[in-house]
Amino acid sequence: MELLLLFISTVLINNFVLSRFLGICPFLGVSKKLEVAFSMGLAATFVMTLSAIATWLIQHYILMPFGMERFLQYVAFILVIASLVQFVEMFLKKNSPALYQSLGIFLPLITTNCAILGLALLSALNGYGLVTSTVFGFGAGVGFTLAISAMAGLREAMEFGDVPVPFKGVPITLITAAIMSMAFLGFSGLIAM
Amino acid sequence: MKNSTARLIIVLAIISIGSGLLLALTYNFTIPSIEANAAREQEIAILETLPGATKYEEIAGTEYSMYKGFDDTGKLIGISYVAEGGGFQGIIKMMIGINPEKEEITGIKILSHSETPGLGARIGEAGFQGQFAGKSINDSFVAKEDVEAITGATISSKAVAGIIKDSLPKAMEQYKASGGGK
Amino acid sequence: MKSTSYEFFKGLWKENPTFRLLLGMCPTLAVTNAAINGFAMGLATTFVLLGSNIMIAALKKLIPDKVRIPSYIIIIATFVTIADLGLAAYFPDIYKVLGLFIPLIVVNCIILGRAEAFASRNSVGASLLDALGMGAGFTWALTLLGIIREILGMGSVFGIKLFGESFISWIIFILPPGAFLTLGLLLGLFNALSKKKAEAN
Repeated sequence: MELLLLFISTVLINNFVLSRFLGICPFLGVSKKLEVAFSMGLAATFVMTLSAIATWLIQHYILMPFGMERFLQYVAFILVIASLVQFVEMFLKKNSPALYQSLGIFLPLITTNCAILGLALLSALNGYGLVTSTVFGFGAGVGFTLAISAMAGLREAMEFGDVPVPFKGVPITLITAAIMSMAFLGFSGLIAM
Repeated sequence: MKNSTARLIIVLAIISIGSGLLLALTYNFTIPSIEANAAREQEIAILETLPGATKYEEIAGTEYSMYKGFDDTGKLIGISYVAEGGGFQGIIKMMIGINPEKEEITGIKILSHSETPGLGARIGEAGFQGQFAGKSINDSFVAKEDVEAITGATISSKAVAGIIKDSLPKAMEQYKASGGGK
Repeated sequence: MKSTSYEFFKGLWKENPTFRLLLGMCPTLAVTNAAINGFAMGLATTFVLLGSNIMIAALKKLIPDKVRIPSYIIIIATFVTIADLGLAAYFPDIYKVLGLFIPLIVVNCIILGRAEAFASRNSVGASLLDALGMGAGFTWALTLLGIIREILGMGSVFGIKLFGESFISWIIFILPPGAFLTLGLLLGLFNALSKKKAEAN
């Protein structure tokens, strides 16, 4: 039950993109086409869930036993995430070319997606256990997919809108995000934590 | 030679070792200040919630982190403890000071929270926190009744009142069990 | 070869990381709910940028091409940790507010971007100027956003109240939607300005 609440609150209330501002770069950059945005969301969800597990293991079995979590955490986490992304990329290329075709180009971008490092750090900060971290990672990924897909859907429709020239592209996307973020504010208070 | 695997590994290893050394040095250099900051913050919170106290000591063996505050003459002013609970958007953590003899609150201080800036975050303001000093620990602590809520932040206000109400009996019990209050 | 001063000044406007290159959007949106936070974040980023740019420019001949990205990431993460520890030790109040966003400087695209696009192929001196310029550009952009949001959302600038008691603040501006809205409007404004300038030339 608690895990379900954590999941819902991560997807809707503390949405990574719209209320924590994590993963803004792909949110602005890869949200032109719905299909592409959705694939990006899937790739990110996949990597986020895996990296939530991997960084938890690193934190609890390598950093903490040696008392290094305060000063080696960032270096260790970012390296784990970068290697994980590399590994996923190689694995997909070999075993699932079809999936690689659709997700492949996004994988390198994911390394510098701050949502993933942010997720690892937030899990460590909140002292989540392994299962909770995994749910948190998955929920964050779903929330990211939801936000980026919704934005792409809106942007596809806006293609035909009469947007003033200086606002074309990123500015109007940001203003749309503002309105979406306002809507998501309505979810806060949905769950009493 | 330039791109041989051995060279790649050596370069990465050297960079990693260099980084590790640099960080370990920085850590050792900064950690005294970081710990001093944390201790000072704790001291300020304890002494603020126990007006009149000038020094404190930790009570061992209680579930809450609990501290006794004394004035200059060594007289016990009260006890202060850390309680936390869910707010509107996250955990609210606070220090609560009580006078166990008079059974009243001497002061509270919000230590950390993630409430909405400008609305719920105002639970951190002195005006809101100040109203709890002098209340009996047997009060009902209902926001909008005996606790004045912040406009636009009823849930945050209720959460603070709720944390206080829930933790008070437990804190008193733990204090007595630890041998205090005799 | 462009003039030396150009390496510094390009970051301020022509290649401003926030308004022109649209890099480092996460901290830009997240920490600018008050002017002082934007300014502090800008300085912390500048420090990391400076450290990593100089280090990478100095080591560029030693780092093999194949492992350059992992090497850059380690170097950047090292400087971020130093900034993090330094802030926690000497500026605890600012550290509390910026919190999670200090470690996230690691994945700030500005830093890896400058390492890859500039420091890896220029001299130490030029990289130093580039870092200072980009850092200054990022800092003024964040400070500006912080000032606008703080005035509208809290009625103050750098914590100093501007208006009397009767001012009703637009709290929405210090909440997440306000971040998106302010940056969107500013970007539109700057686009319009530079278009006018281009037409005038």
